[in-house]
This record gives sequence, C-alpha cells and structure tokens, in this order.
Amino acid sequence: MEPITGRALILACSAIGAGLAMIAGIGPGIGQGFAAGKGAEGVGRQPEAQGDIIRTMLLGAAVAETTGIYGLIVALILLFANPLIGLL
Amino acid sequence: MGETFKLRIKVYKYTLILTCLISGIAVFVIREYVPFIYGLVFGTLIASLNFTLLAKTLERAAKMTPERAKGYATSRYFIRYMIYGIVLYISVVADYINIIGTIVGLLVIKIVILILHAFNDKAYYKRIFRIR
Repeated sequence: MEPITGRALILACSAIGAGLAMIAGIGPGIGQGFAAGKGAEGVGRQPEAQGDIIRTMLLGAAVAETTGIYGLIVALILLFANPLIGLL
Repeated sequence: MGETFKLRIKVYKYTLILTCLISGIAVFVIREYVPFIYGLVFGTLIASLNFTLLAKTLERAAKMTPERAKGYATSRYFIRYMIYGIVLYISVVADYINIIGTIVGLLVIKIVILILHAFNDKAYYKRIFRIR
C-alpha cells in the first residue's frame, strides 16, 4: 500500500470541507420558503397590504441569500482554486 | 409591472452607480484591472437577473396557498443557487475573469440593499454612539 502524500491528504480534506461548506446553502432555502409561506398567509389575512409584504419579503430574501453564496464560494475555491496546495 | 417594479429600478440604479465606482477604484488600485472589471460586470449582471427572478418568484408565491408557496419559493431558490454556482465555476475556470471581481459583483446588490433599506436610519447610529 502506498503512503498517503501531503497533497493527497490536502485534496481529500478540501473535498470534505467543500461538502461541509455546501450545507450553508440549505439554510437560506428553508428560510426563504418559510418566509414565503408566512408572506402568503399575511396576504390572505390582509390583501390590501400585499405590496408592502412582497417588498419587505424581497429585501429580506435577497440579503438572506448572501450566506448561501459565501458557502458556495468557499466550496468552489476549495475544489477548483485550492490555495492550500501552494503551501506544500 | 408588479408590486416590486419601482423598488427594483431603485436598487438597479444604485447597483450600477456602485459598480461604476468600484470599477473606477479598481483601475487605480489593481495592476491587472481588466479581468477584475470583467468579473465585476459579470457578477453584477447575474446578481441583478437573480434579483429579478427572486422578485417574480415572491410575487407569484404571495398569491398561492402557504404550503404551496413554501415549496415553490424553496425550489426556485435552489435554481437560483445553481445559477450562482455555474457563474462562480466559470469565473474560477476562465483566465480572463477574476474570481474576486465576480464575488464582489455578486455581493454589490446585497450591499446596496443593506445601505438603502437597513442602515439608512440616522437615529440608529445616534443611539449607538450616545453616551449614557
């Protein structure tokens, strides 16, 4: 059996790290769905406030997506532009 | 037109201004500024289109039943997330686009929203720095 090289170890750990970072993308999806459900409930209860509800929801949802993008960036950098390999 | 049309136009206008400002700074600060500006424009365009997609999704979701709206908004979020993933992958792989530029471009619209609608209350800052 061949010994594990430093490069192989870094690549393997980076792949695991990228997978873990992608978990960050699930949260905003669930949150946005929950907000949209509550927004629909609010519109049903108070139809005249539809515009305000949608606008507030839009701004909140757009900002909430940011954390998912951070996770995606970390995952893609670990997979395709890994800075740790250069340290070997 | 929809309920969010005016809001979207306002956000796009300020996003364009901020993108031009960042591009102008990049010309003086970054040595190889062309890939950075390509990335910035690419990221900003995709983020703006995704913002439109989000607005359309929420406008439709508001007219659904809460259970359907939940599933609809979540499924559409993952479509947009996939678009972000493709954009970032292209930026990482392509040599003529700077990944940092794309990341900044994707986040410019969020910064604009935060500045315009979250941190726009002067009384809030006065309360922070008030000596008791």
